[in-house]
Amino acid sequence: MTIPSPPTAVHFDTALHLEPALHLDDVRKVYPMGDAEVVALASANLTVGSDEMVALVGPSGSGKTTLCSIAGGILSATAGRITVGGQDITGFSDKELTSFRQESVGFVFQAVNLVPFLTARENLIVVDELGRRTGAPARERADQLLEELGLADRAKNLPSQLSGGQRQRVAIGRALMNEPDLVLFDEPTSALDTELGEQVMELIRSEMKSRGTAAIVVTHDERITHFCDRSVHIIDGHLDA
Amino acid sequence: MFLALAEMRRAKVRFGLLIGAIALLVFLILFQQSLQNGLLTSFVGGIRNQDAPVLVYSVDGQRTVQGSVITPDLEALVRGTDGVGEVGRWSQGTFTVVTGGETRMTGGGGPGEDAVDASIIGFDTEGLGTPSDVVDGRLPTAAGEAIASDADAATGFAVGDVIRVLPGGFEIEIVGLARDVQLNASPTMYVPYDTYLDVIAAVNPDAGTPLPSVLTVRPADGVSDAEVSTAINDRSLELDALPRETAADETPGVAQVRQSFQIIFLLYALVIPCVTGLFFLIITFQKAGALTLLRAIGAPAHRLVSALMIQAALIVTAGFALGTLLYLPVSQQRLGGIPLRFETAAVVLWAGVLTVLALGSALISARRVLAIDPVEATTGTGVGR
Amino acid sequence: MILALRELRRRPGRFATAGVILTLIAVLLMFLGGLLDGLIQASTGAVRAQDADVIVYSDNAQASLARSRIEPEVRETIELLSAVTEVGGLGVVQLGARVPDAGPRDLAGVALFGYELAPTGVPDTPADGEVYADEVLRADGVEAGMELLLGPARSPVTVIGFVSDTSFNGQGALWASPATWRDVLDANRPDARVSGEVFQALVVRGDAEPDDLAAMIDRITAEYHTASATRSLSVPDAVNAIPGVEEQQGTFNQIIGVTIVIALVVIALFFSLITVERAGLYGVLKALGARSSTIFAGLVAQAVVVTLIASSIAAALTIALDAALPPGSLPLAVSADRIITSVLLLLVAAVVGCSFSLRRVLRIDPASAIGSSS
Repeated sequence: MTIPSPPTAVHFDTALHLEPALHLDDVRKVYPMGDAEVVALASANLTVGSDEMVALVGPSGSGKTTLCSIAGGILSATAGRITVGGQDITGFSDKELTSFRQESVGFVFQAVNLVPFLTARENLIVVDELGRRTGAPARERADQLLEELGLADRAKNLPSQLSGGQRQRVAIGRALMNEPDLVLFDEPTSALDTELGEQVMELIRSEMKSRGTAAIVVTHDERITHFCDRSVHIIDGHLDA
Repeated sequence: MFLALAEMRRAKVRFGLLIGAIALLVFLILFQQSLQNGLLTSFVGGIRNQDAPVLVYSVDGQRTVQGSVITPDLEALVRGTDGVGEVGRWSQGTFTVVTGGETRMTGGGGPGEDAVDASIIGFDTEGLGTPSDVVDGRLPTAAGEAIASDADAATGFAVGDVIRVLPGGFEIEIVGLARDVQLNASPTMYVPYDTYLDVIAAVNPDAGTPLPSVLTVRPADGVSDAEVSTAINDRSLELDALPRETAADETPGVAQVRQSFQIIFLLYALVIPCVTGLFFLIITFQKAGALTLLRAIGAPAHRLVSALMIQAALIVTAGFALGTLLYLPVSQQRLGGIPLRFETAAVVLWAGVLTVLALGSALISARRVLAIDPVEATTGTGVGR
Repeated sequence: MILALRELRRRPGRFATAGVILTLIAVLLMFLGGLLDGLIQASTGAVRAQDADVIVYSDNAQASLARSRIEPEVRETIELLSAVTEVGGLGVVQLGARVPDAGPRDLAGVALFGYELAPTGVPDTPADGEVYADEVLRADGVEAGMELLLGPARSPVTVIGFVSDTSFNGQGALWASPATWRDVLDANRPDARVSGEVFQALVVRGDAEPDDLAAMIDRITAEYHTASATRSLSVPDAVNAIPGVEEQQGTFNQIIGVTIVIALVVIALFFSLITVERAGLYGVLKALGARSSTIFAGLVAQAVVVTLIASSIAAALTIALDAALPPGSLPLAVSADRIITSVLLLLVAAVVGCSFSLRRVLRIDPASAIGSSS
């Protein structure tokens, strides 16, 4: 199946964004399992442009979660070099990775994972409270994001009072709070029906594109890849760009 | 059963902590039960476990044997009261004594000797103010003999031991032991009245004949203890006649001890169902997903509930057993002058109370289990819900 | 931290059970502590109040006032010591007091002291026949200006004022002149009568360390008065020598200790379960850049807040219980010190209990947030 993705210059996009959002150079991830080793990711090379939206497609167990976790600074690679937004995070300690995640990447998790006892607005602000707190600017940004995501009138609602789509939008808002270089979407449509899934992908695309933020959308659903600029397939830890 | 045990095996630490908490609570409750009974017995055992049905104090004694003094005119009033059958004299004094068996010639406590405070009670009529439960030996009959409280047998008050009273070195031989007859939490000896007078004379040769502390009374045939007490009290505002049990309960401090411990027991008894209830509520919450799944694959609700109740029962049993095990060695000890005892009745009572409380508290979680709708397993539940 | 506190505010129900248990435990701690303090106060007040360095008993009295006798010659010997600046006699007799307007059989238990050197909070020795009464006797209906009749001899004394915290052997004290004490003792307890200038004990003020002073006094009396040597104790030692004081403290402190361990286990249990329940959420927060320390600090904050709330309720309940109990029924002494100590102990238990969950928080992998559906 071919993917109708618009041809985009991958390495050097526009004059304004010189640094790619993500650069993986021969990245390997190996898990020890008893005496043997399991190769989760074998020599992955991938560059995502500064405002590019890439679909990472593969069946479960293919290594896409590993790749996504390494790109997001959740996992360390066994070998290779990782650069995010021009920042080389290859040798980062756990502590450095923690602040890196706070400041430079956004996540939207599969099950949405909003904090159940916080309102929509507070679910955005929580990102600020976890790191170096900025206070008022963070609250302004949260209000602005909620406005843009069409959730202004839902700001004071708890997740349990929101619909599935609304929760997804709150999660996207949360991912954008720290003005990330890269947003990682982990199976954003897996829990949704086709129609809702397409609406969500539409929303993701417009939000990313309007901000010029790069994104990786992890999915096993070929039906949604056309919302992305291009697709990268991964099978048994091997990338196929 | 399988479900219940499998889960407990997987979560050893969690269930272990709960069992530990319950064991500590049980230990504390039982220990304090022993403490309460020990305290009361060591303070008023000598009143409760003697065989005179009625005790007559002087009002000024404020219901303590050591404070009470019966003057001859008061004694005459009591003896002359209608309904009074038999009257005996009962005197008590606290003395410094040395234990240690063989006779020594020194007048004072020699080096290395253990001088202790002991109560000596003189009675003039056998069966009227003598210990009711003789567990070893016999009641004293001859001069210089005594029956002692059994709790102190190990500290030099066993049958055959000789006690010397200081100063003066008057010797008393223990010829019997009686159960729970301490007064004022000190070793207590009952001696014939003349021996009591001899002790006083030996300790203080200048002292005259002491007055009796208390009169012991047996009502005449057909007269109740309460009736004879009322009759005696009506004779004089200086007389305070009390039936035996009342005399023990009305001793200053007894009601306070009871009341204090009641509050303490109530609080501990409230903590236990709260702890078990909280525990089961949280683990039920936590495994709601698994329970829903089990319901979906066809496990009947009552099976899940019975698994829960089995766990609760096992935990209470284990906690109780562990707590009792902790309590066992402690209950054999003495606390200062207070001998503790393994309180079997308290163990049985609390076992029942705690089982009911713990199972009752687990029922709250059972309601939650019953409320689970197996359909939820198919729809899936998002975190935000 | 803010997240944790907000959770407490949004979902108080979740913490209610733990809060109730902690409240009960806190009431237990405060009640037990108050009972201990009350018992100790009631039995040691008069000795504690002695404004002196050393209390001198006779050697064979086992630090019991009732059995101790100090002859005037012994006192003279002690007064010869250069380190001794002041010596005062002390004596006590415990009797039933008839209070006007009370029932003919309702006696108030009193301990009548004769004193020369004023204890802390007690004015100088009053005129013969007059007494300062301890405030605890108000519960028995004693009022200023009243004439109390002491003992079977009905010896009259007049209350001219009140003092506080001077109980002896659980009974309220009356503070009188040595002559009044001797008269009352003589009339009511002929067997315990003391003659002339004899006292039961001496209180001594000096300019040496109390322990050294006590040793000096005992040495000189042993040398000059072999038959009536003394045993001197510093005031704190004399307090501890009162029968039952050390046992009571030991027993109560053990019970309090085990109760705190129970509080610790309850908190450990509660927060380990909360952490298990929150594993997913913590994974997400960690992926979003939350440090383990931030999450753990949140748990500790929750434990501290729940403990503080429980303690406040418990303090209120304990104070209410104290107020509800009729005066003189239970020897309960609720003090700010005791409440604060109990709260501090509980807070320590809360933090230690929480730390059992630290390992679990550290172990949570942020990667668990990705690639899982729950």
